[in-house]
Amino acid sequence: MFYRLSGIHHTRYETARRLWPIPADRRQIWFLLVLGLVAPFLFSNFHLTSYIMPWLILSAAALSLTLLMGIAGQLHFGFASVMAIGAYTSIHLTRAGLPLELALLGAGLASAVIGSIFGAAALRVKGLYLVMATLAMQYLVDWTIINVPVISGGAQATLQTPATSFLFVALKSDMARYYLALLWVVFVTLLILNIKRTSIGRALVAVRDKDYAAAVIGVNVVRYKLVAFFTSSFLGGVTGAILAFCYYQAVTPEQFNFNISVQLVAMVLVGGLGSVLGAYLGAGFVLLVPILLTNIVIALAGMGWLDVSTNLLAHIPLMIYGALIIGFLLFEPLGLGKIYDNIRNYLLVWPFRHSKL
Amino acid sequence: MMRQNVKKLSLGAALLAGVMAFGVAQAKDPIKFAAPLDYTAVYTFLTNEYAQGQKDYITMINEAGGIDGHKIEYASSDTGNQPQRGIEAYNRAQRDGAILFDFLSTPVARAMVNRALDDKVVMITAFHGRGDASDGETFPYIFPVMSTYWSQAATLIDYMENHEGGLKGKKVAHVYIDSPFGREPIPVLEKLASKLDFTLRTFPYASPGNEQSSTWSEVRRFRPDQVIIWGAGGGQAVSVREAIRNGIAPDKIHSVVWLAEADMEAVGKDTAKGIRKFEGTDNGVNSALIKELTAKVIDTGKGSGPKENVGRSYYNIGVATMAVSVEAARLAMKEFGPPLDGDKLRKGFEMIQDYDANGLLPKLSFTGKDHQGGGFGRVASWDGDKWVPLNDWSNPYQDIVWESIAHDAAAFKEGR
Repeated sequence: MFYRLSGIHHTRYETARRLWPIPADRRQIWFLLVLGLVAPFLFSNFHLTSYIMPWLILSAAALSLTLLMGIAGQLHFGFASVMAIGAYTSIHLTRAGLPLELALLGAGLASAVIGSIFGAAALRVKGLYLVMATLAMQYLVDWTIINVPVISGGAQATLQTPATSFLFVALKSDMARYYLALLWVVFVTLLILNIKRTSIGRALVAVRDKDYAAAVIGVNVVRYKLVAFFTSSFLGGVTGAILAFCYYQAVTPEQFNFNISVQLVAMVLVGGLGSVLGAYLGAGFVLLVPILLTNIVIALAGMGWLDVSTNLLAHIPLMIYGALIIGFLLFEPLGLGKIYDNIRNYLLVWPFRHSKL
Repeated sequence: MMRQNVKKLSLGAALLAGVMAFGVAQAKDPIKFAAPLDYTAVYTFLTNEYAQGQKDYITMINEAGGIDGHKIEYASSDTGNQPQRGIEAYNRAQRDGAILFDFLSTPVARAMVNRALDDKVVMITAFHGRGDASDGETFPYIFPVMSTYWSQAATLIDYMENHEGGLKGKKVAHVYIDSPFGREPIPVLEKLASKLDFTLRTFPYASPGNEQSSTWSEVRRFRPDQVIIWGAGGGQAVSVREAIRNGIAPDKIHSVVWLAEADMEAVGKDTAKGIRKFEGTDNGVNSALIKELTAKVIDTGKGSGPKENVGRSYYNIGVATMAVSVEAARLAMKEFGPPLDGDKLRKGFEMIQDYDANGLLPKLSFTGKDHQGGGFGRVASWDGDKWVPLNDWSNPYQDIVWESIAHDAAAFKEGR
């Protein structure tokens, strides 16, 4: 079958320690990468701009938060404000004449610095108390953006992304914007995958699992918590900038409010804490399922199968969506990524029954 | 599924009969309007009535054969007040050929302005969205259609000045929800304060407005002669209740358009007697258009919602938005012929002159420059059972309003 292990021999540590040691995994990854590259030619512009591109960008956001919540175990309920800082910083920097490449870096750094300041609360509090600290960040950032006209864009509270280019390619077409988003999400994916198998990643996992024990064996808990907040906020800030330039093209405070923070946490939880694949699945679930359910319900109503008021029509998708979340978490508490992992483990030793992997 | 098959069979039979009877018959392409509204998040306080009004009006038009035989297809869905869902709904509807959009959500409408301008489709933003879209030269495809918040503020102040003893030397409190919406009329109010020599002070309360006690304590200490409340949804009833509790008489309270029968019921119908609000459409069922709608759609059982909603404030606003849009489509069809597209529809809007929707609206006129329709409005008072207009339609201080419009439109050109 797809995941045969027989015939695979590693004669060097390098081959055993690769990101994807099994040829079947590598083939899948190459397939997905090629699919991503040719998506503008395979899918209509509607599907590209309304489904695929926001899915990719929100996957990058979920991956950024996965680093903090899943790998390092630090809760963050204000991550949309981190993205907001990145989005607004990048727009103001490009309006000031900076090229987008540097503006993205500036966006990441601004988010990282401010995110780390609030993340410093993690040095003294855990769990729900840390939730309160990051919630405070959300509301403080929201308040600042709304009440400082020079940041928000004045009375209309809208900032448009200026015309700009990335690596000499003008971001004028949907295809160009899509490829920038794809480039970023690939980078974040590889980064998170590699962090998980480096000493930094192992230290973060130790901090997550038992910070006292980690301290005893020599891990500098303070430093690694700050590293987690800094890195995660940097990635989140750049993702916010990508979201602004590639997708929204005009930012308003409502695009980064508390609801978005909750959705980001939902993406990470539903997809699976610490799972890279889970971040993609969680982002797809949270972004696409409400839209698809809405469209399905409307189609059913259009065919005469659902003769109810428009108001109820709008609420039915919410009911189904809530039931789906509960259903998936009951079915697999470790998230959507774990479902894939279970299938994969089963196939690895098929037709034999048990797996030790 | 059976209904669908019967529909297709009937349509096929009708087309066949048409071809046989007349030799050559062309099917009249439908005109597509899209209304992805917010049914589940922020604007829930009005969406149901508003959408019901829109659909009922379109039903009436379609029952009469449409515009020159072209029926109107109205597509509605839920955006949850989220820009990304608005983007998806917009792209889907635009792909299907929709030429007019109504999002009834300021966050979604603002996010969609550039797309509508690039794609050359009309977006109506009655009482929401960007107020500076009244500048038709900067926003050729965006139509606020009715008074902006700036015009509403000017109308309220004008009423106080001319019908409530004048404002010179008086104190006016502007109590608003702490959001861009709540803050939007402040520039106009400040200019009017200088012009009319009254003292303006602003009092924000935190969104969503469930808790306003501390704000109204401050207002009480300020001892205002007049109060303007600027909120939406549940916060409005809280504002009214707190104002009355803090000793402000109902007839000193003046509200933005978002104050309706449901809020009066929440406060207590008799308690709220005397409250004033801006209104941009006639209220109740007395206008000829609502009477016609009642006779042709409601009483014949073709209405799309509860009968009790007919004539309520938000229902009438919904009817009015579609009345103006259909009038624009009619004018465009007459001038340019089928098939309609966004550009023709835009010109149709700009051809509207002195249109009052059979008494439902003040006389609206649009030009290539003015997409607000003139900024008309009036003040209505709650009499314990319904809203009663207190003055005639007027559009005061439009010079000051257009200063704000021009200022923000220029800012839009700079990217804000």
